[in-house]
Amino acid sequence: MKPHEMNNVTNDQIMPKPPLLEIRDGRKSFGHVAALRGVSLRARQGEVVAVVGDNGAGKSTLVKSLAGVHTLDSGEILVSGQPVDHADPRAARSLGISTVYQDLALVETLDIAANMFLGRPIRKWGVLANRRQMIREAAESLRNLNVRVPSVHVAVGELSGGQRQGVAIARAVREKNPIILMDEPTAALGVRETAQIGEIINSLRMQGNCVILVCHDLEFVFNFADSIHVLRLGRTQGVRATHETNREEIVSLITGAIDDDEEMGRKEK
Amino acid sequence: MLSPALALSVVIVVFVLFGATQTPMFLNGQTWINILRDAAFLAMAASFATIVLVSGGLDLSVGSVLVAGAMTAAAIADAGFSPFTAFLAGTLVGATVGFINGMLINQFLIPPIIVTLGALFAVRAVVVASTGASPIGPLPDEFDVLGQASFMGIPLPIIVAIVVVGIAHFLLNSTNYGWSVRAIGGNREAARSAGIAVKQLSVSVYVLSGASAAFTGALIASRLGSGSPTLGQGFELQVIAAAIIGGTSISGSIGTVVGAALGALLLSVLSNGLVLLRFDPTLQNFIIGLVLVAAAGLDIFRRQQMFRISARRAASSVRTG
Repeated sequence: MKPHEMNNVTNDQIMPKPPLLEIRDGRKSFGHVAALRGVSLRARQGEVVAVVGDNGAGKSTLVKSLAGVHTLDSGEILVSGQPVDHADPRAARSLGISTVYQDLALVETLDIAANMFLGRPIRKWGVLANRRQMIREAAESLRNLNVRVPSVHVAVGELSGGQRQGVAIARAVREKNPIILMDEPTAALGVRETAQIGEIINSLRMQGNCVILVCHDLEFVFNFADSIHVLRLGRTQGVRATHETNREEIVSLITGAIDDDEEMGRKEK
Repeated sequence: MLSPALALSVVIVVFVLFGATQTPMFLNGQTWINILRDAAFLAMAASFATIVLVSGGLDLSVGSVLVAGAMTAAAIADAGFSPFTAFLAGTLVGATVGFINGMLINQFLIPPIIVTLGALFAVRAVVVASTGASPIGPLPDEFDVLGQASFMGIPLPIIVAIVVVGIAHFLLNSTNYGWSVRAIGGNREAARSAGIAVKQLSVSVYVLSGASAAFTGALIASRLGSGSPTLGQGFELQVIAAAIIGGTSISGSIGTVVGAALGALLLSVLSNGLVLLRFDPTLQNFIIGLVLVAAAGLDIFRRQQMFRISARRAASSVRTG
């Protein structure tokens, strides 16, 4: 296998339409620390792209830039080929990007239905909370994703880690945005719960969503991602289609044992 | 599971039944009018203090804001303005103090307990200084109507309190505003990232609390026919006790206005009932202290139980719907 050839094939030639989400040469520094030093990423409709890398590789910064939490110093973010300039998470949401944060951002004392509609309630006469409708839709959203909870009336604080993750993902999915960012969705989950998150990701792919998955559980990544985007020291070290690579190669890319793809390209010329 | 409102109702009924076996005064209509009227003033302020607690805040300035409202309304009424103007002015003074509290808490990030404790001292000092420490009154009869008149045998303050408690309950339970208040009390960061205007919301609950405390003060002045700068001393502690006894969590997000109203009723039943039972008045506060700690203990017990049940439920969780 020649991984450096695969990279260009998956990214450039199979795609007739512009990618659903693209970041071009994204750069971001915090003071003297360059967190992103030129990252380019593309994701198609119905594609699950895993972003992997060592600590400090820039994964979180990349997700936060896409989510609108950070603004890039330079570089472009494009949604469906259109450059977007989102200044905050709300703007990113309205442009089609929903985010499931690592800390989930749930209110433990409120029930599932209230959490699903946090900050975006279904209104009745402008000011009233349409609880009945919210309860019905919350239950429906969870059912669609096969998230099992006792009832949507249960406080989130009473749920298991996997169920909480399910609620947070269902909330992001309910926004009906085509692009869903997930930051470490399997962190601190058990085996069965991790598999359940995998099922959710599969069903999102089936529904034509594009999922950007930041994850350092390589087994999970190989099970559920279509392509793997390796970051190293704020740069794209390599991009591989999951079925054409293996764990050793990805680990080598993460640790820098394999040169990054641009270097390889230059050497071959 | 035992809800705080139900538990409180049971405690009130049991105490009243016990009292009735000791003295017939317990079932006297006038006794109940007094009990309900005392409870009414407490419940009005406690309803909105509960909303502050649910938002994750605390308002200790209630007693001083109450006297500010009472004295402002009394002074305006005494100067010959209409009762409506007097009540409005008093309420606005309270809302203003609440706004200042809210801004100091949210813009300058000074803890609520400090800001409102400061207001507790400062506001009463201003009231005492500006009135020369002397009462205002007697007030014009038109001003006294709302506090003293009755409708079908029920004193107006009781009816007014039912309306005020009803508004607070509706606001907290049925509006998006109320749900957002619960959210910021539960997890301020999560609420912020969900796009809730956390600061504006937090300021608004202090404004409402200040307004309700001051309105209560104006109503008390109307009931007494005069305003006294010593009104409402220690009232803030009774208000918070009523809220906590009613099942409101001191750590925010959890609590009901109905519970706070029942808490106010229990405090009033106790303080009136213990007098009827010829209980040593110096020990009355001992009983109230016990009830307060018991209520907070019950709240913690309930939550532990809830989480034990949830652990079992999660183990055998079923599909939704």
